[in-house]
Amino acid sequence: SVQAHKEDKPQKVMEVNGLTPVPHSYDYDLIVIGGGSGGLAAAKEAAKYEKKVMVVDFVVPTPLGSSWGLGGTCVNVGCIPKKLMHQAALLGQALQDSRKFGWQFTEEVKHNWMTMTESVQNYIGSLNWGYRVALRDKKVTYENAYGEFVGPHTIKTTNKRGVEKLYTAERFLIATGERPRYPGIPGDKEYCISSDDLFSLPYCPGKTLVVGASYVALECAGFLAGLGLDVTVMVRSILLRGFDQDMANKIGEYMEEHGVNFIREFVPIKVEQIEEGTPGRLKVTAKSTTGNQIIEGEYNTVLLAIGRDPCTRKIGLDKVGVNINEKTGKIPVNDEEQTNVPYIYAVGDILQDKLELTPVAIQAGRLLVRRLYAGSTTKCDYVNVPTTVFTPLEYGACGYSEETAVEKFGEENIEVYHSHFWPLEWTVPSRDNNKCYAKIICNIQDNERVIGFHVLGPNAGEVTQGFAAAVKCGMTKEQLDSTVGIHPVCAEV
Amino acid sequence: MGWEQAEVRGYPEFVRAAQRYRGRPIFALFCGDKDAEGRSWCPDCVTAEPVVRKELHNLPDESVFIYCLVGDRAYWKDPNNEFRRNLKLTGVPTLLKYGTPQKLVEEECFKAELVRMLFTED
Repeated sequence: SVQAHKEDKPQKVMEVNGLTPVPHSYDYDLIVIGGGSGGLAAAKEAAKYEKKVMVVDFVVPTPLGSSWGLGGTCVNVGCIPKKLMHQAALLGQALQDSRKFGWQFTEEVKHNWMTMTESVQNYIGSLNWGYRVALRDKKVTYENAYGEFVGPHTIKTTNKRGVEKLYTAERFLIATGERPRYPGIPGDKEYCISSDDLFSLPYCPGKTLVVGASYVALECAGFLAGLGLDVTVMVRSILLRGFDQDMANKIGEYMEEHGVNFIREFVPIKVEQIEEGTPGRLKVTAKSTTGNQIIEGEYNTVLLAIGRDPCTRKIGLDKVGVNINEKTGKIPVNDEEQTNVPYIYAVGDILQDKLELTPVAIQAGRLLVRRLYAGSTTKCDYVNVPTTVFTPLEYGACGYSEETAVEKFGEENIEVYHSHFWPLEWTVPSRDNNKCYAKIICNIQDNERVIGFHVLGPNAGEVTQGFAAAVKCGMTKEQLDSTVGIHPVCAEV
Repeated sequence: MGWEQAEVRGYPEFVRAAQRYRGRPIFALFCGDKDAEGRSWCPDCVTAEPVVRKELHNLPDESVFIYCLVGDRAYWKDPNNEFRRNLKLTGVPTLLKYGTPQKLVEEECFKAELVRMLFTED
């Protein structure tokens, strides 16, 4: 069928003076701005209910010119390439371990960045294409264009050739996600890369300085070091803010003992280019956060991972009156993902006070659409959402960190059970015997219900998923104890 | 200069054709062999071919459309045949844009909209 779009003002009849409203003839039932995890899940769900849906997705190229296809951050420059590169690093470790298990090879094993990157990008390309096919197949209109509000119920889209079009819809879903933050120091945009550039970098990054202590910074530093590169992490204050600090410090220690350099309590103030090249040579000047000390260092690549900012400031929200948190750019919503403007909703990383995770965005998007078009009343449950950080020693968690539990329930009302463990697979190759660690936090006043689950060790994500379901069901310590372990696996601890 | 068409049979011929047209966008439709009456052993290919041919006028200028017969049913069923091994084909019919992850497999080829999307968008 041919989609007719109006170039001029949308034809709609307005309600006047509270008289019986006449049906508005909008172009679409729902327009989704942003084709990432949340946006696509919502669009595909709405199409199931035979709604007329459009997805508008556009990637503003990075300062260095990187761009990507449909699918959002997770698919293109987040979870997917990250996990694949983490796996590449783990395989490198496995190759080393394999000699102790009897595998014999005389050649030295080296890593080829281009081979890995091409394979990863090829896979991502197939995902981008898969989304295009899925949308077209479900009759969801897709425009590769930048969408912004220009008036009530109306957006303007601008494609990469500058062609503008106007569209109207009964409802809108903002799912524009975030982009990496730049520190605003000389040389940041000209010479530094971010995670947006890293996964498609057409040359090996070489000796790398990672600025930041977020999970993005640590995961990237982790796999780069695992691939054999010289990696330094520059941390302003603490690691993994918001995560259980006991676990965060163990992660940092492990990384330090395994070849990642850390420069603590410093921030970069200037990046200069010594030599052009792929990679080139950069000089970084940094200042201490606790005094006046200045240091300098030379690196091939500087990767900035100091945080991400929501893409909400240039999409015309002021034209339709959607409130945003002026300081952070995040959008506050009620427990039904509705903004202060009743016909405009939001999901994903841009939401204020919600977890920035793909499965959360997908769940929220789907449930929202079911409430809108299928009469459901189920709201998204943001409590007890499991997460995993894919640092060299993986960390899985669900529920409260120790600090938050103490703050909420009081130290005397919680009990922490913990244990180090030595994965059987690590024994033969003589890998660390006291680094893997598991702890659970229980609420004494509530039957010792497990309110926090933390595990540090291989396959932490796989281990955590099942326990998350148990925590959601309200498992108590006694129930956990009475569950017979599987042997020999890490999870039995 | 519009688009060009080539017909080949078997893997070596396909590779030679792809080489010959290197540098230009190449679209390829892989189907099962046809018998003396011109009917393929692959029923999905019989359905897909007219749908694809009807959309050929949407091919971008300078591009090439290669129609490739892969072989008989026994050859195709062999899990190690060259098309499966080298081009990673998983089924026939397959319509793909050579050198990219963009492809349509089996029933996807029946849908004119999807075929048109493969030919016209990047």
